[in-house]
Amino acid sequence: MTKPVELPQGTLEMLILKAVSLGPLHGYGILLRIQQISGERLEILQGSFYTAIYRLEHRGWIKGEWGESENNRRARFYSLTAAGTRHLKAETAKWTDMAAVVAGILDRKADEI
Amino acid sequence: MNLLAAIRKLWHSIAPRTHSDVEEEFRFTLDAYQEDLIRQGLPEEEARRKARIDLGQPATQNETYREAIGLRLFDELGGDVRYGLRALRRNPGFAAVAVLSLALGIGATTAMFSLIYAALLHPFPYAGADRIMNPIIIDEQHPDEPLWFPLSKAQFDDLRLAAPVDSPLGFNNAHMEITGGGLPEDVWSVYLTENAGAFFGVHPLLGRNLEPSDAENGGHSVVVLNYRFWQRHFGGDPDVIGRTLEIDHAPYTIIGVMPRSFAFNDINGISGVGDVYLPATLMRGLFNVPYLAYIPWIKLRPHVTLAAANSALDPIVRQFAQQHPERFPDHWHLALQPIIVPFQQETGHTLTLLLAGVVLLLIIGCANCSILLLARGRARQHELAIRGAIGASRWRLVRQLLVEAVVISCTGAVLGVAASYWLARIPLLLSPDSFPAESVIRINAPVLAFSVALALLCGILFGLAPALRLSRHDSARMLPGRQIGVVAAPAKHRWSVLIAAQIALTLLLMATASTAIRSFLVLTQMPLGYDPANVMKIGITLHVRDPNEWSRIQSREARTAYIEQIREKIASVPGVSTVAVGTDATPPYSGAENSFNIDRTHDREQPQARVMLVGPGYFAALRIPLLQGRIWNTDENTRGDFIAVVNHAFATRYLSSSNALGRQLRIPGLTPRNRYQVASAQSTAAREIIGVVGDARNDGVDRPVVPAIYLPYTAVMLPYVQFLVRTPGDPLAYLHSIRGAIASVASDQQISNAATFTLNEAIERDAQYSRQRLFSILFGVFSAMALALALVGIFSVVAYSVAQRTTEFGVRLALGAPRAHVLWVAARIALVSAAAGIVIGLAFDSFLGAVLAHWMQSAFAAGSLVAAAVLLALSAFLACLLPARHAIAVPPAEALRYE
Repeated sequence: MTKPVELPQGTLEMLILKAVSLGPLHGYGILLRIQQISGERLEILQGSFYTAIYRLEHRGWIKGEWGESENNRRARFYSLTAAGTRHLKAETAKWTDMAAVVAGILDRKADEI
Repeated sequence: MNLLAAIRKLWHSIAPRTHSDVEEEFRFTLDAYQEDLIRQGLPEEEARRKARIDLGQPATQNETYREAIGLRLFDELGGDVRYGLRALRRNPGFAAVAVLSLALGIGATTAMFSLIYAALLHPFPYAGADRIMNPIIIDEQHPDEPLWFPLSKAQFDDLRLAAPVDSPLGFNNAHMEITGGGLPEDVWSVYLTENAGAFFGVHPLLGRNLEPSDAENGGHSVVVLNYRFWQRHFGGDPDVIGRTLEIDHAPYTIIGVMPRSFAFNDINGISGVGDVYLPATLMRGLFNVPYLAYIPWIKLRPHVTLAAANSALDPIVRQFAQQHPERFPDHWHLALQPIIVPFQQETGHTLTLLLAGVVLLLIIGCANCSILLLARGRARQHELAIRGAIGASRWRLVRQLLVEAVVISCTGAVLGVAASYWLARIPLLLSPDSFPAESVIRINAPVLAFSVALALLCGILFGLAPALRLSRHDSARMLPGRQIGVVAAPAKHRWSVLIAAQIALTLLLMATASTAIRSFLVLTQMPLGYDPANVMKIGITLHVRDPNEWSRIQSREARTAYIEQIREKIASVPGVSTVAVGTDATPPYSGAENSFNIDRTHDREQPQARVMLVGPGYFAALRIPLLQGRIWNTDENTRGDFIAVVNHAFATRYLSSSNALGRQLRIPGLTPRNRYQVASAQSTAAREIIGVVGDARNDGVDRPVVPAIYLPYTAVMLPYVQFLVRTPGDPLAYLHSIRGAIASVASDQQISNAATFTLNEAIERDAQYSRQRLFSILFGVFSAMALALALVGIFSVVAYSVAQRTTEFGVRLALGAPRAHVLWVAARIALVSAAAGIVIGLAFDSFLGAVLAHWMQSAFAAGSLVAAAVLLALSAFLACLLPARHAIAVPPAEALRYE
């Protein structure tokens, strides 16, 4: 297993939006998918996970609906709303820009500055 | 039901998901994770434990949810409120005193605000009431006496078309009677132009109001009832619409009943409240007189200023003056007056003073709560220190203490607002004529908003100082062992300042109250010059509308005979001792101002005197003493001419140089004013003064007696008259037999309810009298409340500090301190601050004395201030001493055992 990565502040919400954008998922499913996509490298702070879900739902970016899980239990499935889609797109662009800028700065060699 | 649904909807929008919803979802995740862990090979118990460690407890999940959606502050405040309520319940004595202190203040302030709202801000139920004007003519020679001018129908229509006028209302009042029933009943009718419904914009309680169509075909015989009349005459029967009411022998169909708040047209008591409203077109048909006319009210268009309206209407009214010069004085100008103005002048004054009183009371109540919180805070320091030590921030502690204060103030406000509903009625009961009849006191949205704001403000006001002070202590110093001081607690007592302020304000209220009470007592003990006890006035209106009956009593002789016959019948009622006739001659405000000449001289400046039209028995009935000469006899009374009696004030003012008897005077204005009046043959001829009587109040109870001329009532006879009846006991008990006696003369002769009351009642209705009584009662109550609050404040502070310092006092006593010294130590700070408060209050009062005297319209006496200060000092001394006694009652051995 590769080295676990700690998540910077505020990125968890983005990951949840991304996970949900691929199709409706219940809470545990979101957790699994994030871990799966990241190659098991992300240690999600379990406590803050549901806080993030509740906040996203309250802001109207994801929408929760009760449905039936794979093992025939009642579970709450989340899907991305239109506002959520827009938000994810904007956040992704922002993140990519920022990451590029930061990476660009960090990659500079001494003689390039 | 609707409210519940609305609350549920609001709640749903704040927190869309329920407790169980959140929990169920979380449980699913927990179970799924746990199953995964079991699948990975963990034993079930271990997996269960790990799942809970990683994800959390289902029970706390709802808290996480609420925090995530931003409800944490809300939840914490709710917790604070619950904690505050619990703290109050643990200390019921403290809670009761604090809540009551505020309930008094908030209740009184809310009551006063709702009164001001009802009487000054929103007194009339009419649509656009602030645009309704009373067009007044100011006679430039007598600017104090505003005049109204009547309009003919054509002039009324001219006015309707004037640019600044939205719509005019025309009205005229008439004394009429309900006929066709058992006993005839007096009724005060108001003729209204048929646009009344739209003009007032007041929705009728039943049926409809007058409409323009009621003017068709010379006017429909319809009537709209006033609420009180409907209650009185029909017992509030809801099926009254469509029935017939017979007024002056003519049938009218009842088309509507106005709501209780509609009491047109009571303008400063000038005219009474109408009983029934009739279409004005009928009035013109009934009395075919060219000049019979409307009194106008004018509703201006929106956004028209008073000055613009005055200048636009002035030329129109000048045109009216040219058409009817006799109705206008020589030099005048038009002054539109908002209909609230007559009330604003007197009532505004009264209410401002009362509001100042209740605000003082509220401040004293707040100070009291602060004192109590500070005093109790010493006992809570330990608790706060613990909370601080386990991580509560100072802001959190301040918030907690403030929330507790607001809990107290809101509880007080709830009680206060409930009480204010009744409190606000007291001024109306005590001084009914000072307020518009239509102002209805109700707890409405503005009043509620006011009291909620007041409660929050008070809570923060009195809670902030204690909260800041109590939250300051650092936990390190407070925690190691409770501070059961052998040494006196830190000398800084913020409450001592509050006590001083409270005492100073209380003294201010007490001084005001004693001034008010003293001047009211002076007023009641002022010699009246007549004896009002057991005398009643009974008014009757002659039948001027019914042509048959009118012809019977139209002549002066017939009318005199009729009146004398009624007088004799009343006199024959068993128990009635004296009956006298008087026309508008009922003290304390009697007679009509007239100019006269003495001894055929024609002064350039015409002297004025009150002319009283009375029968010869008037002086005996009112016990007004005869000083010189004689009163006229029955024959002279029937003739009405050539004689007069004057009062002492008249004799000293106008006849000072010589003996009054035998002098001659003439009253040129003593002529009939309209076709219902009739005068004696020589009413304006010279009259010899045959007697001088003592001064009886005739210009209000508090004002000096003005010169008066008494004449036989037959000199000028009006279509109404009053009888003054003296009886051995309460005169109203004889009213029924007297009505019977009157009916035995003429079966349909009604008595006028509005003009029938005892002379003591007449005094109580006097504006100055009722105002002074209102002030003395209310300020008396305010100052008693303030005194009680201040004493409770002092008492509880001393009691608390004695309880805290039990050990210290025990040690002092054990070491041999004299008991008097221990007592002094216990009460010292409170005593000193009370004394300081009294000194400050005295200084403040002497400074404010002049201002107050002006507002109260009575002298501010140094004597009453000193008396108030002494009373306050004595009671403050007792309030200190009583709890301080416990300090020396501690057995030293027991006190030491605590250590």
